[in-house]
Amino acid sequence: MYRLADLIDDRPADGVFRVHRAIFDDNELFDLEMRTIFEGGWVFLGLASQADQPNDFFTSWAGRVPILVARDGEGTLNAFVNSCPHKGARIAQTMAGNTRLHVCAYHSWTFDSAGRNRGIKQKAAGCYAAAFDDASHDLTRLPAFADYRGFLFGSLSAAVPSLADYLGETVKLLDLIVDQGEGMELIPGGVTFTYDANWKLQLENCSDQYHFTSAHPSYIRLLEKRARAEKPEAFKSAMETQTHWREDASGIQGGSFSFANGHALNWGIGTVNDGSPLYESRDRLAAAIGEDRRDWMFNMRNLTIFPNIQIAENASSQLRVIRPLAANRTEMRTWCLAPKGESAAARRQRIRQYEDFFNPSGMATPDDTVCYENCQTGFTSRVDPWLQGYSRGMTASTPGGNAHSERIGMDAAAHVLGTAQLCDETLYHSYYREWAKRMHGVLA
Amino acid sequence: MIGADEAAALLYREALALDRGDWDAWLALFADDVIFWMPAWRDELTPTADPDRELSLIYYAGRAMLEDRVWRVRSGLSVASLPRPRVVHGVTNILVERAETDEAELSSSFTVHLYDKRSERTHVFFGRYEHGLRRVDGEWRIARKKILLLNDTIPTVVDFYSI
Repeated sequence: MYRLADLIDDRPADGVFRVHRAIFDDNELFDLEMRTIFEGGWVFLGLASQADQPNDFFTSWAGRVPILVARDGEGTLNAFVNSCPHKGARIAQTMAGNTRLHVCAYHSWTFDSAGRNRGIKQKAAGCYAAAFDDASHDLTRLPAFADYRGFLFGSLSAAVPSLADYLGETVKLLDLIVDQGEGMELIPGGVTFTYDANWKLQLENCSDQYHFTSAHPSYIRLLEKRARAEKPEAFKSAMETQTHWREDASGIQGGSFSFANGHALNWGIGTVNDGSPLYESRDRLAAAIGEDRRDWMFNMRNLTIFPNIQIAENASSQLRVIRPLAANRTEMRTWCLAPKGESAAARRQRIRQYEDFFNPSGMATPDDTVCYENCQTGFTSRVDPWLQGYSRGMTASTPGGNAHSERIGMDAAAHVLGTAQLCDETLYHSYYREWAKRMHGVLA
Repeated sequence: MIGADEAAALLYREALALDRGDWDAWLALFADDVIFWMPAWRDELTPTADPDRELSLIYYAGRAMLEDRVWRVRSGLSVASLPRPRVVHGVTNILVERAETDEAELSSSFTVHLYDKRSERTHVFFGRYEHGLRRVDGEWRIARKKILLLNDTIPTVVDFYSI
């Protein structure tokens, strides 16, 4: 078994940060990650709007463990292990639904929407010992479950900080999403895809400004072509009108913020223009929340809340949930996230932009996921096991926030601010320092 | 009015063009204003129905958008598109649901077997097609194509030639 020092070489004083390839392809490390990170700490479960009405429910995952999030008859949300206490069978088997009673299909044990046991079949005739009656037969509640403005998080371990402490300053970024309209919603039609590579490749790619012009030239060229042609059937692009990603852009274009507990944001300065479906709300938003926060809503933002949720607002707006399946296999559940109450035209624009860029049937995401798989193939090498992709921005990283984060009252552990060509890689350090923190104690 | 044999032949020609990577022949089958649509799924059994208010896997209004997809595959600028996987389309259960002088509606089932040499993987995509046909200058063109992909957990990538 590897030791932590074998896997992450973090020596700030020497200007060194390196990650070992084994972190991505070792099966024993994967099992430890599942137990300590995904099944031992906060993970994102879903949005409160996915179970909006009394007795609504949806199913999710905490690592490998099936989860049931249900709203009870009084309207309170609860999260349970979606497994019958009797024989362990998964109870709710659909993605979502509405029911006052969840009945296990195997032996008919029955639970109400608050998780209370409401029936054990042929209980009286069962010749149970007194000890059985002393035990709870309710669904097992998650030891920790909390809601930040409709973002639902749970933990299979009680030994976690409060959700507010865990999210820390990233709530300022979640506020930028929730406050765009009358709350937010998932546009109907979730898309699920898999890729044959490690989950941390998705974690990194969301923060990876460096890959954009290399991996996505076909998408970029098409946007330019469509902008020139002004084809009526092509919708305005949120990327084409911005400069923060361009190889020939000059001046300060954005950068990164690193946060405590493994969270990170990369971002680019955006202008308020009609490439964004939010443009129709520009004046209302400025009046309601001030120009500083309004302007930030038009910045390109890729937020990761460690370990399994990413919200990308770049070419459109996406909520992604990362579900590791094996060291070399990952499932992505993805939705178009949108402000409630936007106009039909803005909604259509958002959806068309989304499909083109984010779908596995679109013109950008497949060029990422195929690269992840090529990385996974290369990770097998142990000849030179240390990867060199964590070094850009090393001399630009500065503790704390900056004038840009101050506009939304946000502090940070560190920031990088620079040109479009800087393409910081130090924000990944957040991920691996948190990873090391969680694995400390299970790895020597 | 289109006959059953002529309708089937048109679907087979489309399938063969995709299998051969003969993109010009494929594009030529579509009307300029074609609606090319692959819905996503709301839940286990309900595909999305309103492309303006719900997400689709693909929704294109106009052949120009299909030309963009073909351009991307030909460009050499998309790593996901190179080397192109080998595919074979099976189109079966073809029914002429409605036939008029210059319009027709067809339904059919499809199976696409795909072999990706790079990853040494094979996949099967399957589902149902709806084709809306229109006669333009004496030739039948596809004015509407709906692809209902039943196995919609996408293995890394699904492109227009693998559905």
